[in-house]
Amino acid sequence: MGEVLVITSGKGGVGKTTTVANLGTGLAIEGKKVALIDADIGLRNLDVVMGLENRIVYDLVDVVEGRCRLKQALIRDKRFENLYLLPAAQTRDKNAVSPDQMKKLCEELKEEFDFVLVDCPAGIEQGFRNAIAGADRALIVTTPEVSAVRDADRIIGLLEAAELSNPRLIINRIRPEMVRRGDMMDIDDILEILAIELLGIIPDDERIIVSTNRGEPVVSAINGSMSAQAYRNISKRLLGQEVPMLNIYKNRTLLGKIKKIIGFGG
Amino acid sequence: MRKMSVEFKGTKDGVIIYCLDGFDFNRIIDELAERLKQRASFFADAEVRVNVGARLLSGSEKEMLAATIRENSEMRLAAIENGDEKAFNATIERQKKDKRKAGGQREDRSLIIKRTLRSGQIIRFAGSVVVFGDINPGAEVVAEGDVIVFGTVRGTVHAGAAGNRDASVVALRLVPAQLRIADMFSRAPDGEPLLPAVPEYAYISEDGIVIASINTRAGA
Repeated sequence: MGEVLVITSGKGGVGKTTTVANLGTGLAIEGKKVALIDADIGLRNLDVVMGLENRIVYDLVDVVEGRCRLKQALIRDKRFENLYLLPAAQTRDKNAVSPDQMKKLCEELKEEFDFVLVDCPAGIEQGFRNAIAGADRALIVTTPEVSAVRDADRIIGLLEAAELSNPRLIINRIRPEMVRRGDMMDIDDILEILAIELLGIIPDDERIIVSTNRGEPVVSAINGSMSAQAYRNISKRLLGQEVPMLNIYKNRTLLGKIKKIIGFGG
Repeated sequence: MRKMSVEFKGTKDGVIIYCLDGFDFNRIIDELAERLKQRASFFADAEVRVNVGARLLSGSEKEMLAATIRENSEMRLAAIENGDEKAFNATIERQKKDKRKAGGQREDRSLIIKRTLRSGQIIRFAGSVVVFGDINPGAEVVAEGDVIVFGTVRGTVHAGAAGNRDASVVALRLVPAQLRIADMFSRAPDGEPLLPAVPEYAYISEDGIVIASINTRAGA
């Protein structure tokens, strides 16, 4: 029996879809059988970020309306055979699915997969309600910005009301330099307000933009980046492993280390 | 025959209506309305003063008296006064003594919340509210009594929401987005918020809403 995790945030654009893609891939790398559900009906993105958009034949709404079986709609990932995607419909909207239907769908997937990750749309309306309906636990993604934290707080309140307690937090797009200068909220400021368990932090990384455009989650790339490492760490923590938090403040690349030994600043 | 709760007396300065002691205020209003209706033409547009004896009327009760006279006669209400000076002063003294004896206590219904209030959550209560947790920005507490927070207030708090200007807001850290007591509003000055180092409480003084460290409280 697998676990259904909904990845939500309230605020749009903080990195939910990217997180679903990378955590899903990260868990698949660890050998787990993973299904990703794009619950953002009408504005689907998960398929693009995974690079699977031209393999879509059936989608979530087709399944729920009985036009196809669940197995027919699931798309196997290009790189990992134990990773599947259930895409959203692009020509419908969030009212096409009900919370009960989502719950049934998640229950069906739970039986076959170790992890089911639900990519929740931004907002607190029908899309959100659908996405959390079948979830066992929630992961909240926020960026270190006041507005994102405000929205995350709202979401935590709504999750508590829906009895999805103990959500865990992922802080995305941290810029260590800005934090050092005092121009950006730091982790403690965010935890002061949100007061939930921190699952991981991901530094801001240009390579994420490149990866989402290419449809190749950073975690699957060969040249490891800091954000890839961060996502890998979070995947491991989801499996119960104890992994120390990434130290994003000490940006020691190999060149930097050599420079230090030789004595060139850095 | 039923005892009268209201007596009319004519003087050279006009009519005085005496509301006798020992009668329920609503009974007085009803009887006044009835008697005015019966004798409307007799009184015409005379000036009238209402003597309420030793009673201390609230604003709405005074308004009820004025309305009753307005609606049931053409008399002009000049004043509502307390007759029998001695009885009036006795009532004031007794109220002061009660307050002193109670040492600034108020008996109230209370609601105890043992969690942090999150953005978008609102608590309304006809009494005092105690929170063991924070009030996050975007959360609201509206209480007719006091609001006491064992945590940080960053949201909006309204104490004395039904008009009680004696109400106060106390918190371990008071940095509200907006703070209201009774009908007064206040917010932090613009610019960088100063994080208070000590627990503070907010109350209404002659200067408006004032925030002071609870260590300097002098039993208000």
